[in-house]
Amino acid sequence: PANRELTFNVDHGYLEGLVRGMKAGILTSTDYHNLAQCDTLEDMKLHLQSTDYGKLLSSSEEDLTVSLVDSKLRANLVTEFSCLRSNALPPLSTFLDYITYSYMIDNVVMLITGALKQRDVAELLPRCHPLGAFDQMAAVGIARTPTELYSAILVDTPLAPFFQDAVSESNLDEMEAEILRNKLYKAYIESFHSFCKNIGGVTADIMCPVLEFEADRRTFIITVNSFGTELSGADKSALYPSCGKLYPEGLRLLAKAEDHEQVKAVANCYPEYKLIFDDPEPGADFKTLEDRFFEQEVKLNMLAFLQQFHFGVFYSYVKLKEQESRNIVWIAECVTQRQKSKIHNYIPIFPGTH
Amino acid sequence: MSSLLRGEEMCLAQLFLQSGSAYDCISELGELGLVEFRDLNPSVTAFQRKHVNEIKKCEEMERILGYLLREVKKADISLPERDVNPVAPLPKHVMAIMEQLQRLEVELGEVTRNKEKLQRNLLELTEYTHMLRITRKFVQRTAEREPLQVQYEEFPFLEKETMMDYSSMQRLGAKLGFISGLIQRVKIEAFERMLWRVCKGYTILSYAEVEEYLENPDTGEPTKCVVFLISYWGDQIGQKVKKICDCYHCHVYPYPSSNEERNDVVEGLRTRIQDLHTVLNRTEDYLRQVLIKASESVYTWVIQVKKMKAIYYILNLCSFDVTNKCLIAEVWCPVNDIPTLRRALEEGSRKSGATVPSFVNRIPTSDTPPTLIKTNKFTSGFQNIVDAYGVGSYREVNPAPFTIITFPFLFAVMFGDLGHGVIMAVFAAWMVLCENNRKLKNTRNEIWNTFFEGRYIILMMGLFSIYTGLIYNDCFSKSLNIFGSGWSVKAMGWTKEQWENNRFLTLDPNVTGVFKGPYPLGIDPIWNLASNRLTFLNSYKMKMSVILGIIHMSFGVILSTYNYLHFRKKYNLYLVFLPELLFLLCLFGYLVFMILYKWLAFSAKDSRHAPSILIHFINMFLMQGDGLQPLYPGQTGLQIFLVVIAVLSVPVLLLGKPVYLYWLHNGSHRLGLYRGYERVRRNSEEELYLMRAHDMEEGSSHSDLSSSGENPTEEFDFADELLHQAIHTIEYCLGCVSNTASYLRLWALSLAHAQLSEVLWAMVMRVGLRMDSTLGVLFLVPVFGLFAVLTVSILLVMEGLSAFLHALRLHWVEFQNKFYGGTGVKFCPFAFSLLPSSFEHDGLL
Repeated sequence: PANRELTFNVDHGYLEGLVRGMKAGILTSTDYHNLAQCDTLEDMKLHLQSTDYGKLLSSSEEDLTVSLVDSKLRANLVTEFSCLRSNALPPLSTFLDYITYSYMIDNVVMLITGALKQRDVAELLPRCHPLGAFDQMAAVGIARTPTELYSAILVDTPLAPFFQDAVSESNLDEMEAEILRNKLYKAYIESFHSFCKNIGGVTADIMCPVLEFEADRRTFIITVNSFGTELSGADKSALYPSCGKLYPEGLRLLAKAEDHEQVKAVANCYPEYKLIFDDPEPGADFKTLEDRFFEQEVKLNMLAFLQQFHFGVFYSYVKLKEQESRNIVWIAECVTQRQKSKIHNYIPIFPGTH
Repeated sequence: MSSLLRGEEMCLAQLFLQSGSAYDCISELGELGLVEFRDLNPSVTAFQRKHVNEIKKCEEMERILGYLLREVKKADISLPERDVNPVAPLPKHVMAIMEQLQRLEVELGEVTRNKEKLQRNLLELTEYTHMLRITRKFVQRTAEREPLQVQYEEFPFLEKETMMDYSSMQRLGAKLGFISGLIQRVKIEAFERMLWRVCKGYTILSYAEVEEYLENPDTGEPTKCVVFLISYWGDQIGQKVKKICDCYHCHVYPYPSSNEERNDVVEGLRTRIQDLHTVLNRTEDYLRQVLIKASESVYTWVIQVKKMKAIYYILNLCSFDVTNKCLIAEVWCPVNDIPTLRRALEEGSRKSGATVPSFVNRIPTSDTPPTLIKTNKFTSGFQNIVDAYGVGSYREVNPAPFTIITFPFLFAVMFGDLGHGVIMAVFAAWMVLCENNRKLKNTRNEIWNTFFEGRYIILMMGLFSIYTGLIYNDCFSKSLNIFGSGWSVKAMGWTKEQWENNRFLTLDPNVTGVFKGPYPLGIDPIWNLASNRLTFLNSYKMKMSVILGIIHMSFGVILSTYNYLHFRKKYNLYLVFLPELLFLLCLFGYLVFMILYKWLAFSAKDSRHAPSILIHFINMFLMQGDGLQPLYPGQTGLQIFLVVIAVLSVPVLLLGKPVYLYWLHNGSHRLGLYRGYERVRRNSEEELYLMRAHDMEEGSSHSDLSSSGENPTEEFDFADELLHQAIHTIEYCLGCVSNTASYLRLWALSLAHAQLSEVLWAMVMRVGLRMDSTLGVLFLVPVFGLFAVLTVSILLVMEGLSAFLHALRLHWVEFQNKFYGGTGVKFCPFAFSLLPSSFEHDGLL
């Protein structure tokens, strides 16, 4: 472990080079500037042709829609990711698997809620994120309780270890599904955090802050979303991931928080979150809490590329690419709905590079 | 010739294209490939340009064509001959092509979809028959074991229910259901596990593998499948089982309840499969016909669309004039081609039937034009060698015409071997003779293409190697005795005793009759026997390398005068060229003189007193050597004179130009400026900036010519100029020494080549020749094979490449840095023939 950096390239050098090359294809601010000037999706297609996306959008016969753009971008990311994954050696392969687990959790919860609403599985499956696809996915709807879900369906999947705290006999309803999601996510992020810590070295230096931020973001979001529900403080604190910077004092305070002001008071104790909860300056564009978190996340992920010989670049690349897809979809949405004024509300990645 | 020496004279021209005939005019220009268009709307992004819709349409057509080509390729239909070169279609005909393409696409798509549907159907039916066949075995198996089962009938829920005893279950009143189907083999284990977990054992799963490979309808790959049969109790569990089947993408088929039904179904399936086969065959035939019809014209379409897209791309570069009636394009064009350009525009206007003609107008510019050097198939290889170093600045001396001779010659000096040269020349001659063979020309093999492109270079290299091989008298390391040696051993009068007792005997040329005069061509073959052959050849080749090197470099320095004269910088002639040449000739030219003098002045008789050139040359710098016998009277005085000249030329080179320019700039500010102004009026505008550049300062190269044109009152920076000149001086003076030494690679490589071929002969061929039995003849065959293979692979290919690289270096560094700037921009004409097709790139064509 001491000389991991020395031998890093033996196993993972190729993939790191690959991912850094892919990162060079992330759209620059000039690209965004040009995209924002487009009047139709066709224009956007034309412009994206000159970027690394190439013929991605032009190869289809159908007319362009925003959802088509979205799925194409997603498929592109999945292609790149599966290329990385299939060439990866342990422990990088495990690391990459960890990235997919969060998508799997989302997929499971979406399928459960879909099944609760009596939707057909065939209709739900295409809406699942392909990065989190697994064999048993379609059978998720069979389960009625979390225990059943675990013992019958998910026990074979990599999600099984995260079920330790989530097993309960209560019937799955929408609320329960959401709680299940958060419990699974808490277990997942804690496990990922300790995995990165065990790897140590630069990977831990890069990944731990990113994951801690992710944990705290979820904590804040859970708290804000829980206003007005019957979740008690104890219930809430059971959902908070305990690997973040807020642990333990911040979590305790947040569990008690009942309105936005109290959350803000907690955030004020932490310099990195104080900014996010700050009131927007007068005159500046209003940004939602979510966008501010995304902005912060992009910043953290960009830092990963400043160092070499670590796994963080893979995680960061996936996250940045996801953000880029969100940006493109946002711009496409604004273009189709002719909302030119809001078009600049995307979150730029690598704003300095051209 | 002047074009090859300097490149074409270029001018900037404005084309006024009537909007009606612009398309045809540009199409005409694209066929000719005369001009390079400049972008007049650089600030407009790609999708905001005027003809973006037409380009989109072209892309749509390209997409359909790509689809067509892929289908044609899949169906293994060869495309017809590709010699057709259709002109770009008229805009009004484009719609027809577009419609044709779209119709074809729809038709193809429908047929393919039908075919796929039929194939899927067929697969399903085949799967169903497999399933029925295999599940029958499950049931038969149970029937055989029936007697064993009877005694356990009372305990139907126990584990032994794995057998298919459904009759007993029915008797118990439980509702028994069956689900049967196929699943991919890799998934069966997970499937079984989940089935067990979810249904808690209330199901029985039996399965068997299908022997054949079935095609996976999604990927088209053959996969192994497993037929399974699940029997379950109760509806609730049935629901779950169905969901699990869905989840594992099982292909579920109804399970017949009785044997008779099963037979009926099997029978029905058989006939349906047969029917499907016929229909499928017909569909495939039809598909093939459609594709064959499409393949006939697909190549024409590809070319047409490519041309059309290129034309619209060019139209996007043009700007509109105020009246919006005509397009304005700016082009770089060779001055000599302007009449052709005019004719092309007339032709274009005539074709489109425009009433107002399009016309050309030369406009003055201060921009540096791109460099165009017209080449043919022979000169292009050599021009490529020069361009690989750097494209020449506009109108500067092009080293390529000289490279045609010097490059193969320097190569051959290193590669000198008659035999190897013949092989190389024959190989190159074969390529030259077959150069029109399409198979050789259109191959995708990059290594082959490299050789093929350089076939004329290789031919010249081979021919020159034959020549130097004759001079070195080396043919596969052996000498040829064509004219009879000039030495006679008999005249030495050695006795038998002397022959036997001495391993080495010395031929003395001073004994009468031993040396009858020099061999007419090259080295005397008797040296092949001499033990001091290597020493003799080394001395000869070393001196030859130095002589060739000095000549080559002096030639480079002399070529720089052409640049100075052309760019009207006469002061450079006295302040740069003269000191440079004096420095080179006074020191190293004198060395060459001494070598030649020694060769001529000393014969065999007084060779014992021949002085060492090295000592003399060193003494020349130390200005001593009184103890030595002079080579010729007055040597010391001449040498001191030469050294003084050489040393004096350094400060002239260092300070002359900067000081002169400084004086020119400050002292004669108003005097004699634009001396050639009358000539400017006569000549083209292009000369004007040269005139100005003359009076302006200039850097070490011509890089700031363009800026000087834009800003004629640019400040003169003495320090900057001095620094440039200091760097140049240091580089040149040190370069003279190191470059001369660098030419010694001629000797080293030629030595290496000769020695390597000799080693090959001694280690391989001689072993085979030594066996003096009949067996030896047979043994000689593989030995010669080995010799031939090693000769070609090591001596020809590897040594040839190494000699090539060294010759390249001698040209790029030692020769070209004496005069060649190489900072130009290559002229890229708009020509359809130069456009790559995206389909070629994808390997579809």
